Amino acid sequence: MKIAYYPGCSLHASSKLYDIQAKSVLGKIGIELSEIEDWNCCGATSASKTDDFLALALAARNLGIADATGLSEMMIPCSSCYSRTLVSQKVLAGDPALRSEINAELSKKVEGKIKISNILEVLLAAKMELTEKAVKKLTGLKPACYYGCLLSRFPSDMPVSDSVENPVAMEGLLKSMGAEPLDWGYKTDCCGASASVNDADMALKLMSKILKDALARDANCFVTTCPMCQLNLDAYQDEVREKYGIAKSLPVYFITELIGVSMGMDPLAMQVDRHFTDATGLLKELKLI
Amino acid sequence: MSTSTLKYSAETSHDLLKEVMDRSGQNLMSCYQCRRCAAGCPVGEESGVTPDRLVRLVLLGEKENAFNNLLIWKCVACYTCGTRCPNSIQTSRINETLKQMAKEAHFEPNILRVATFHSSFVKSISHFGRSNELEFMALYEIENFKKGGLTAVKEDIKNTSKLGRAMLTKKRMHFKLDRTKGKSEIKRLFTKAAQKRGAKG
Repeated sequence: MKIAYYPGCSLHASSKLYDIQAKSVLGKIGIELSEIEDWNCCGATSASKTDDFLALALAARNLGIADATGLSEMMIPCSSCYSRTLVSQKVLAGDPALRSEINAELSKKVEGKIKISNILEVLLAAKMELTEKAVKKLTGLKPACYYGCLLSRFPSDMPVSDSVENPVAMEGLLKSMGAEPLDWGYKTDCCGASASVNDADMALKLMSKILKDALARDANCFVTTCPMCQLNLDAYQDEVREKYGIAKSLPVYFITELIGVSMGMDPLAMQVDRHFTDATGLLKELKLI
Repeated sequence: MSTSTLKYSAETSHDLLKEVMDRSGQNLMSCYQCRRCAAGCPVGEESGVTPDRLVRLVLLGEKENAFNNLLIWKCVACYTCGTRCPNSIQTSRINETLKQMAKEAHFEPNILRVATFHSSFVKSISHFGRSNELEFMALYEIENFKKGGLTAVKEDIKNTSKLGRAMLTKKRMHFKLDRTKGKSEIKRLFTKAAQKRGAKG
């Protein structure tokens, strides 16, 4: 089965490992990710904070390209790209005048046909195939599943496939693979996103709350689907620990690398060694790799 | 934000309220101050203004305080306020609108770096169609330097270079420029956006 794929800027750069993992894990169960051609940045939060038209139009260009593929579904792993693209599709569906205005500037017009999915929706729909390919139980892994903001909360009313306040898709998936995901209180709290760069003290404070709660529940790792959340919790974790006097650290996995581990994939090929906070040690300790 | 004696006048408050409602698409008049937004806001405490207070400022026509407060700049766009609001008011959309209106009215941003971050990010998209981390960070620091001088960038550069070094070691830094071929189309969208902004101001 072929589905359209929008990687977004992160998955082509600092989170290239996530792109590699997503392609190989889904490839293993016969889902081919077909990257849409010549896509552009969705505008992320920055466009919506500075220009209402651009915030919709940038994502609209990608929607036009995606519609032209004739495929029925497009997967967007990055929560921010997913949110911006879905919002643009919905707003344009309800505003034909704005859609025509934007379409007039585009060679591939937005038709609004393609279904936009986040990575959890795609993985969940293939849960049976994924567990069938599993060769290893993720025994001993106690993840705090971290959803962040943009998978379930939108700037306008949007139907959400999981619970908004207490999503459980990741927990279900990991349980079926033998992990023991924990109940905790910060699964949809904000990591600070770009504040880690432009309002650092604020972001470190938000991350400290997330890390403290996960540790208090005895988690031994985080699992996430968002490259921004992953980078923040991973790259700034030492700084958070130092500032807030937190002794222990936790590896921050993408959901794809844990599924890959359960399928017996080579951790080096999945670039598990490219985390800022060591991520291979725990997997070795639990004899998962 | 300074606390002031409220000077409500229907005439002056109406214009501000109408513009904020039109541009943000949010019905501020349906707010009954239940403060569920305030309870969930991750930055309200640090900002000294919670979403409900901001809505109130706009309703009362307190333009200066609505344009000049930490909340509109500290907002992380987590959308918790709007998701929990019984009347579906998205304060984050109001924040976006107020930031833009404050800029148009020549107010200085309360947090310079937040303003330069987002403007530099959008600028970097206009250059290559995609965001390239190194180019973007360079644009961002140049903007900070231009607007805030050396002190505005010193601390930042120290932190950023620490992250940069870690990214290099972990092979998460990418030097190849990622770009969109359909540059003329991206340019047209930016031109259109500028025209629309011009029509507004």
